[in-house]
Order: sequence, then C-alpha cells, then structure tokens
Amino acid sequence: MKKFTFRPTPEIVVLVVLLVVSLLGLLFIDALVAPPKLLFGRSLTAVAPSLFPSIIFVGLALLCAVLLVLLNLQGGHEHEASLTPHEWRRGVVFFGTMTLYALTMEPFGFLISTALAVALLTWQMGNQSWIQTVLLAFGGPILLYLAATRLLAVSLPELNVIELAYARLLGG
Amino acid sequence: MLDQFAEGFGMALRFDTFLMMSLGLFGGMLVGALPGFTTLMAMAILLPISFFLDPIVGIPFLLGIYKGGIFGGSIPAILISMPGTGAAVATSRDGYKLTQQGKSRKALDMALFASVFGDTSSDIFTILMIFPIAFLVMQFGPPELFAVLLLSLVIIAATSGSNPMKSLVMMMLGLWLSFIGTDPLGGVERFTFGLFDLKSGIPLLPMLIGVFAIPEIASVVMRNERAKQLAALMGERLSRAEFRRCVRTICRSTVIGTAIGIVPGLGQVVAAMMGYSAAKNASDHPETFGEGELEGVAAAEAANNAVNGPTMVPLLTLGIPGDNVTAILLGAFVAQGLRPGPQLFSDQGATVFAILVAMVFANLLFLVIGYLSIPFFSRLVTIKVSILIPIVIMFAFAGAYVFRSDSVDLLMLVVFGLFGIIARIAKFDVMPMVMGFILGPPMEYAFGQTVAMTNGDAFGFFLGERWGALGILLAIPVIGFLLWRRMRAVAAG
Repeated sequence: MKKFTFRPTPEIVVLVVLLVVSLLGLLFIDALVAPPKLLFGRSLTAVAPSLFPSIIFVGLALLCAVLLVLLNLQGGHEHEASLTPHEWRRGVVFFGTMTLYALTMEPFGFLISTALAVALLTWQMGNQSWIQTVLLAFGGPILLYLAATRLLAVSLPELNVIELAYARLLGG
Repeated sequence: MLDQFAEGFGMALRFDTFLMMSLGLFGGMLVGALPGFTTLMAMAILLPISFFLDPIVGIPFLLGIYKGGIFGGSIPAILISMPGTGAAVATSRDGYKLTQQGKSRKALDMALFASVFGDTSSDIFTILMIFPIAFLVMQFGPPELFAVLLLSLVIIAATSGSNPMKSLVMMMLGLWLSFIGTDPLGGVERFTFGLFDLKSGIPLLPMLIGVFAIPEIASVVMRNERAKQLAALMGERLSRAEFRRCVRTICRSTVIGTAIGIVPGLGQVVAAMMGYSAAKNASDHPETFGEGELEGVAAAEAANNAVNGPTMVPLLTLGIPGDNVTAILLGAFVAQGLRPGPQLFSDQGATVFAILVAMVFANLLFLVIGYLSIPFFSRLVTIKVSILIPIVIMFAFAGAYVFRSDSVDLLMLVVFGLFGIIARIAKFDVMPMVMGFILGPPMEYAFGQTVAMTNGDAFGFFLGERWGALGILLAIPVIGFLLWRRMRAVAAG
C-alpha cells in the first residue's frame, strides 16, 4: 500500500484549508448560526437555519478528504507550472498595490489614491516614459471621476477640498 | 404573447439602446482584440455602468460587450495565434495558418460573417422558444425548482474544469459563502462573526470582478506579458463563392452551438470544439483542417457565437446562469429589479422581449461595426499593457465601489482577486463557486418549502404527488456522470 506523503502543493493547501474550515464550521455551527425565531415555542420555519449549512459542511469536508486521499493515491498533483520567484515578487507587489489602493480610497479620495495606484502599476509594468505615466496617473482618474459623477450621477469618494473646488468650477 | 412581443419590439427601437449597444460592441471587440484581456473581464468591470441605465439600455449594452468580445477574441487568434478568449482557441488552428499564407483578411471576414450568422439564428430560436419554456416552468412548484437547481449545479460541476470533484468542492464553497448574512427562510443571522458589514451578505459585484477580472490582470502583471509582433492584415477580402462553400458548415455549427447553449455550464469553448470536430468529420478533405481551412474558422466561430442566445433561456426562465458571462448578466438583471424566473414573463414580458429583440439588432450593428473596424482592431494587438493594466484596475475599483458606496467592497474585491489567483494556481475553476453563490439562496428557499410541504413524509410525498421532481432528482447522478464522460472525450479529442 502506498504511503501518505503530503507535499504542500497549492491544491493540497487549498483542500486542507477548506477541510479545516468545514470541520470548524460543523463544530461551532451553533455559535455561528443564530437560533431560529420562535412563536409560542414553535419555530417559524420547517427547516432550522443551520440545517442547510450543516449539509454543505459535511459534503465539503467529505469531498476534501476524498480528494486528498485520491490525489495522494494517484501520485500526481494537478497544478500549473510553478511560478518563478520573480513572478511571485511581481504578484506580491501587485496585490500590495491593490490593497493600498483599497485602503486609501476613502481617506485620500478617489483622485489621489487612483493617481498613486496608477503611477505604481505603470511603473511596475515597466513603462519608462515619465510623460505617459504622469498623463495616465492624472488624466485617467480625472476623466473617470468626471464621467462617473457627471454622466452616471454616481458618487466616488473624494476629499472635501477637491469636492468644493470641483463644485466651484462647475458653478455649484 | 404576441402583444408582449409587439410591445417589446417597440420598446427596443430606441436611439439610446442602439447607441449603447454600439458602444458595447465596440468596447467588447476592443477588449477581445487585446491579447490577455477577456470579454468576461470587460463585462465584470463595465457591469456597474449598466446599473445606472434603463434596463432596455443597460442590458443590451452588456450583451453588446459579450457579442463583440467573442468576435474580438478571434482577431489575435487569427493574427498572432494568441486567442483573446477560450472560445477562439479552435479558430486559431486554421486562422493563424491562413495569416501565414497571407490570407488574414479572408479569415477575419469569415470569422465575422459566421459569427453574425450563428448569433442571429440562435437569437431568433431563443425568441421563439423562450415563452413556451417559461410557460412550462410556471407549472413548477418548490420541489421541482429545487430539483432543477440541484441538477444545474451538478451539470456545471461535471462540465467545468478538469476534475468534477474539484468543481464540486468549489460549488460547496460558493453555497457556503451564500449563507453568510441573513437566512432566507427565518431571517436569522448566519456566519457574520458579529461584523455589521456582513449582515447583508457578500455583495455579488466585488466577487464577480474579483474572481473573474483580477486573476486575468494579475496573470498579465506577474508574467509581465508583452504583445507579440503584429502580423499585417493581408490579402483579399472573402469572396461570395468562398462564403457559399461554408454555408452548410455554418448551419451545422449553428445548430450545435444552439443546442449546447441551452444546457447550463457547457458554453462556447465546448461549442467551438464540437462545431470544429463536426465540420472536420463531415468534410471531404479533413486533412486540410488545421492547415489553413476557411471552413475551420467558419465552424468554430458560428458554433461559439450560436451559444449566446440560448444561454438566456435557463437564465431568464429559471434564473440559472449557464456560464460565468450569464452570471454577470444575472447580476445586471437583479440590479435592475428584474428577478429572472417564470414570474418575470408574466410581470415584465414586454421588457424581456425588448431585450431579446435588441439582441437581434445588436447582430446587425455587429456586422457593420465589425466589417468597418477590422483594420483598426487588428492594430490593437500591439498596444502597451503598461498603459492598459492601470486603466483596467482603475475601472475595476471604481466599479466595485459605486454600487454600494462602501469601501469594504474594495477590500472584498482584493480578497476575491487573491482567492481567484490562488484557485487558478491550484487549478480550481471558480465558476462553480460563483454558480453555487448565486443559486444557494433560491435553492435553500425551495428546499425549506419542500420540507414544509412533505409534512414529515418525504417518500410518500415525492412518490405520490411529485414524481416529476423525483425523476429529476434520480436522474441527477446519471446525467452528471454522462456529461463528465462526454467532457473528458471532448477534452481528449
């Protein structure tokens, strides 16, 4: 019989995480799901709110466990050609920039945070032209901001100072 | 029904509908023509724009992106052997060979005409079939609805990705994510971890943009992909005789694409491959396929575009999105207050017809815009990604924010984007997860109602009163297994 040898490939890691999550979900289902509403001591619904999630957790845990065993028995792990350290670094910088963008959009406003994110991404993509970077970092957000607020009449987060200046320019 | 059709026809004849459809078609072709960029990404990012337009304008705008994007994907497939979409993989086999022979213009013309023919025919079929199917669906009760939703999820899991068990895992994950928020039956909180932002559940839009668009962008960024050298648009235009020679192939592929479109989960890639294989099998000279055969381009393009119309049948009649693009369309329908399902046809029948009629008009626009702009889109394949990526990210973030004006949605976008890239590395298909997320609440609701109807005697209830639902439930494992085997055969062949 073949021995279990778990190499932490991406698919094994994903399956183990999902297995643990589903087992924890099953274990703490009563804490994670509020008790059903009662009327005169009887539940208002035929199905308890934790029933369907419990079925899914059991199914998920079983599937993950079976897949882990099958992957081990088959020997081969199906995953993409592994990324090079350089590609990993680029990925980390990309998601770092996106997280920064997400975190700064409300406190800094759409224009400033987008200009920063666009400049960082343009630089990361290897654009050597300063003129292109500046035009893209300032022109792009301004055009999108105007299109969103004037054409689609939706709001994007903005600093009070910029919103006031913008309103004054438009005669508000 | 005829009254609703006439009313819908009139509603579709609007200047702004035509304008936005044209913009959508142009935008779709533009994105599809860019190597590394997909229609799905364009639709996910531009979805929020449709929320602020009338349904008869916003949804045709998205449909325009969809139709334009599929054709746009064939441009880099033919010119530089780099399919812009999965659906264009079959096109690139003969299309690129034709380019190498100096006949790229003929290949692109054939792709356009076959696409428009396949798309228009399948749209007309959809208009004719959708009301009878909706009428049938109106007879469904909760047990039948639950059985059909479960069947759809199994079909999607069996046909997406390379491993159906992995697809089932993702589907279960999607179902669990759909439980976060408030229980649809009893209105109690589940899995919110005390966080206020999770009380209304996970919003669909950041999930769609996150799992579909961000991994595509991240992949381009991580690999630092650059456009290949442009192959010049060369040769004469397609002649009438050449088109006539391919008419039978186009008709055959249209029938294949239409049939595949109705089944949730199969989609354009399967249609294109099956259309191409059928054309090769039926040909008197199969050895020319793969060596620059115009029929090969026609077969693949007619089949993958013929999927577009029929995918609307399960979406509009049952609220079941057949693929990831129709999942995005479902988001647009729901945001517009149009809840797909049988009720939609009695409440908003004219609007449904207006959208379907607009799909046919979109094809005519598609023919004109495509024919005139092929030279322009052919130049796009060399545009710098260092300019495109920041613009796409800017649209993605603005789009994710505007729907609820909540910065938490931006973090969800990043988290789902990260999850999407991890899933891609580990070869898990995210489509079943999105389908599970979308179909989870109606499925749980139908399940709850079914349990209430059984009065504790499920066996007697199904055998005595609901043998139709029982039949579907019993057929699910068989259908799932047969489809999985068929998909493996298509992938191998």
